[in-house]
Amino acid sequence: MLNKIYDWVDERLDITPIWRDIADHEVPEHVNPAHHFSAFVYCFGGLTFFVTVIQILSGMFLTMYYVPDIENAWKSVYYLQNEVAFGEIVRGMHHWGASLVIVMMFLHTLRVFFTGSYKKPRELNWIVGVLIFCVMLGLGFTGYLLPWDMKALFATKVGIQIAASVPFIGEAIKILLAGDSSIIGAQTLTRFFAIHVFFLPACLLALLAAHFIMIRRQGISGPL
Amino acid sequence: MHKGKGMKFVGDTRVPKKDNKNVYPPDYSEYPGKTEPFWPDFLLKEWMVGAVFLVGYLILTIAHPSPLEGQADPTNTSYIPMPDWYFLFLYQLLKYEYASGPYNTIGAIVIPAIAIGSLMLAPFLDRGPERKPLKRPLPVAFMLLTLASMVFLTWESVVNHDWAAAKKQGQIVKTVEINQEDPGYKVYAKQSCINCHGDKLQGGAGPALTDTGLSADEIANIAHKGIRTMPAGQYKGSDEDLQKLAKFISGLKAE
Amino acid sequence: MSNNRVTRRQFLNYTLTGVGGFMAAGMLMPMARFAVDPILQKKAGGDFVPTDKKASELSDTPVKVDFTFEQVDAWYKSKVTNTAWVYKDGDKIIALSPVCKHLGCTVNWDGNKDFKNEFYCPCHGGRYEKNGKNVAGTPPLGPLDEFEVKVKDGLLLIGKTRANTLV
Repeated sequence: MLNKIYDWVDERLDITPIWRDIADHEVPEHVNPAHHFSAFVYCFGGLTFFVTVIQILSGMFLTMYYVPDIENAWKSVYYLQNEVAFGEIVRGMHHWGASLVIVMMFLHTLRVFFTGSYKKPRELNWIVGVLIFCVMLGLGFTGYLLPWDMKALFATKVGIQIAASVPFIGEAIKILLAGDSSIIGAQTLTRFFAIHVFFLPACLLALLAAHFIMIRRQGISGPL
Repeated sequence: MHKGKGMKFVGDTRVPKKDNKNVYPPDYSEYPGKTEPFWPDFLLKEWMVGAVFLVGYLILTIAHPSPLEGQADPTNTSYIPMPDWYFLFLYQLLKYEYASGPYNTIGAIVIPAIAIGSLMLAPFLDRGPERKPLKRPLPVAFMLLTLASMVFLTWESVVNHDWAAAKKQGQIVKTVEINQEDPGYKVYAKQSCINCHGDKLQGGAGPALTDTGLSADEIANIAHKGIRTMPAGQYKGSDEDLQKLAKFISGLKAE
Repeated sequence: MSNNRVTRRQFLNYTLTGVGGFMAAGMLMPMARFAVDPILQKKAGGDFVPTDKKASELSDTPVKVDFTFEQVDAWYKSKVTNTAWVYKDGDKIIALSPVCKHLGCTVNWDGNKDFKNEFYCPCHGGRYEKNGKNVAGTPPLGPLDEFEVKVKDGLLLIGKTRANTLV
């Protein structure tokens, strides 16, 4: 039955080449932990992606209850964590996932660095990877404010002070992030929400696509 | 050099090569070994790793509910801020003399910019054909140095932070009806208590005084002798008033 | 036609780029202006907040003056009440911020019997002289902040804080 559906679609759209490119290729021995246990370091990239998928999913579900508004943000987070079934777990996944994704991405970066895999011809993919790293840190920074609790507010104050200390354009960056020259309040929260939920994820998805296409074009770097 | 099925490639990639002047590391197809199909053999192994990882992840989320402090209160001036752990090294860096105050730009902008910039340009700074870490000592040494300093700064920041105070200052305070006509409240407002503990006993420089769980005697004792950062001798009034005050505070319980 | 260096194909490419650029600009310009609005917004004047204290009532002893101003945070308006310690130094009116420079407690004039004519912070015993200078050996790291002041129609007006200029 499934085969028939596949054939029916393939006849019209010729999806076999796409399928081959995604799934039907050989994986070399040196990245396979079944052959060399030390090859587990090659899992970090995949695990980073796995956590990213969990982050995107749990984030989508969190917005079903969350309100980005200074009077209600904290209350909605409190409610979804304490009143909604499994709310503690869904928020927990998003909260701890944010830390895990940084950890896994850091380990992945170190693996690529110490195996010298960023060398020609893979320079561009390394640059895209560093950009993904920056976007992830941005997601961490903006997401930290959203529960609108004490530590969120005051950590953001410090973060925005740091951004404001950039010479010449610091003040403009600060207002662009905070939405006001002196108050960290209603406009800051909505801006951080927009950046966290729409702008940075859009960048992230584009960069991830580029990252994966390049990996498939170039394959995994050879053994050391 | 003909690799694969007679095609020429750029390095060990599948991108066909347009000229053949440089020597690249050999393709992994030149290493006789046990390659296996990505689907389904290798992917199954990856998913097994993923499944183990997910179990650990879920146990973490269940064992440690994600923290939520009290609602943000911009008027609280005594809160000591703390960023998320992966920004701690930067937070700590800004405490040092030559990375703060008049040198703030160095700590906040120049050093991070150099770090991110050189990370991004690593392939162009480290151009040799060698890939083994021991054969490219400089890049590896720089990376290890950076890692060591990040670990050190994070560590310094963690040991210098007052975690007990941090936990206390962010606690969720349940709202309690305050009867400002209560004789105890009048004593509270007349004494210096109100300066630190706030007009609704919500806390400020000192902790909130609602839901203390202390008896009246214990509170009277603290008012005289102080506790933690609260100095002794704060209460200056009659013992009779003190009894009213202590009874009032110990009676404040959230529903 | 032989002098024509721009081929039909090139012309079409340039035009395509131009029209594409127009569409991108048309889409993004309103959005960009929308996003940067807070940077270009001018703060409304009236930084000075009136108090109900008459300037003539002030003496050389600091008194507590409350002033309430309306803080506008986009669509949220809230009343915020601040306090100042105000006194006269000759003809000059001085208003000091009551926020202790140690951990942000509130200081009081003559707040402790043992330290007459000083600002005293009950939290950790921080002390300040009348002009806001912190007494050496007590916890604060600097002098009390100062408010800008103005007198209008005999009433005191309080403005923004600035670093202490008296010390």
